Amino acid sequence: MTIGIGGAGSKLSTQLDPATSTIINVSDIELEKFDAHTKLRAVAHSTRAQLRGARKDPSIGRDAFYSVREKLTDIIRNDIVFSSTGGGTGNGLCTELLDYLSGLDSVPIVDKTMFVFVLPYPELEASEFVDNTLQFLEGPVSRAIDAGNTGNLILFSNQQKFLTRLQEDDYNRLMLDSLQEFLVIPEKGARFDHLDGNIDFEDFHLYTAKPYFNHFCRFDFDPGASFEKQLKSNYNNLLLAPEGTIEAMFLLEVPDADQAVAFYDILDYFAKDNVSPTYSVVHNPDIKKPSITVSILYSRKPLELVDDFNVISGKRKRTRVKKSLDQYVTLTKLEIDMTDETRKAAKDVDQDGEEIINVLKRIGKL
Amino acid sequence: MKELFKKQTEQLRESHFLILYWIAKAENANTKYNITNLFDDLKFAGLTRTKQNAVAYVEALCALCFINLLIEQNRKNLYITRYGAKALELLVKQRLYSTKPSHFLEGTS
Repeated sequence: MTIGIGGAGSKLSTQLDPATSTIINVSDIELEKFDAHTKLRAVAHSTRAQLRGARKDPSIGRDAFYSVREKLTDIIRNDIVFSSTGGGTGNGLCTELLDYLSGLDSVPIVDKTMFVFVLPYPELEASEFVDNTLQFLEGPVSRAIDAGNTGNLILFSNQQKFLTRLQEDDYNRLMLDSLQEFLVIPEKGARFDHLDGNIDFEDFHLYTAKPYFNHFCRFDFDPGASFEKQLKSNYNNLLLAPEGTIEAMFLLEVPDADQAVAFYDILDYFAKDNVSPTYSVVHNPDIKKPSITVSILYSRKPLELVDDFNVISGKRKRTRVKKSLDQYVTLTKLEIDMTDETRKAAKDVDQDGEEIINVLKRIGKL
Repeated sequence: MKELFKKQTEQLRESHFLILYWIAKAENANTKYNITNLFDDLKFAGLTRTKQNAVAYVEALCALCFINLLIEQNRKNLYITRYGAKALELLVKQRLYSTKPSHFLEGTS
């Protein structure tokens, strides 16, 4: 079962599996667009939001959170939440949800929630999306990482969608396929013969319950070449690149049992960063070349990401201001000679004063 | 005594200056100028919004003997005294304040 919050989150959740998907939105019309197992409407106070959705305004999502808080915080336990960071409903509801979780003393490992966020591409997407994302990363996401009450946070980026000019559904499918490759690790461990190590469902759950950003990728592994080079050239370009590995996990699938020893090179690579990965090496007779699925947990990148977003957002704002100045404002130079102005003012006062004294004389008081 | 008069005049603010000015101007135009007219003018000039303030200004000027308040036909009419005229002259020479039109006097003239 997965939970989709807002329009983008609902699309991902229902595309993954409509039969087990719960979707949440502030508008009935938005909810009607999807075929989902359960639909939850969060109550927005404005009629416009109820009819048309939050329309990039996170405050509407934040307000609506309290109407679904109990239900939502109950169903997300040990589950995956999908949302975008740029819109109104997803951003707003997730802001409150993450802050709610951050405010708890602790969350048991079995109840931790994995969050999958889709970030906008700042170069080409609307500045509202970028600004909303900035606030989201700086605020609730940072607090959630500090509090440690969530599971893995997965940050997909829309960058490749725009660069490769894919249709939204196709790009969503690409993201979900990529996610599935990571999620099937324990299933493969159960299905194929073990050659070394082991990742069972419990190990996997323990790993996904850690409150860090998760970067995962899958690629054909050449045991004769450097693992570091192969990994770096095969980073998942749908996700933000990782920075400073905290923990790692990998599943090495080999068609020939003799190739299993290649995993020692991989352990050596992670040992350089003092990381001892959870790993499993399995015999997969269905493939021709060894294949590896790697996951890296990291926590530093968002700060740099916020910087990137700031630069682009600032650049755009400056451009907008310049455009508006070019189009609408003509400022003529106002020339004031202070000496002249002072003389004029003094003359006015003199005339006033003279008149007053004349009046006083006329009425015989002076 | 001159020192005292100078000190008293130095204490006057823009509202006092305008009150003295409007009273003198009204007297010059042979028009009776009462507290209600004064309050309207101060309000129009944006200097006060309450009648209590207008009364306080008048009481202060009366206490300094700069104006006289005479009850005539149930109206409290205001007149400038010789000291008031001298004080106004001093303020004019010091160029501290500029005049503002009296709504009442402009309307009647």
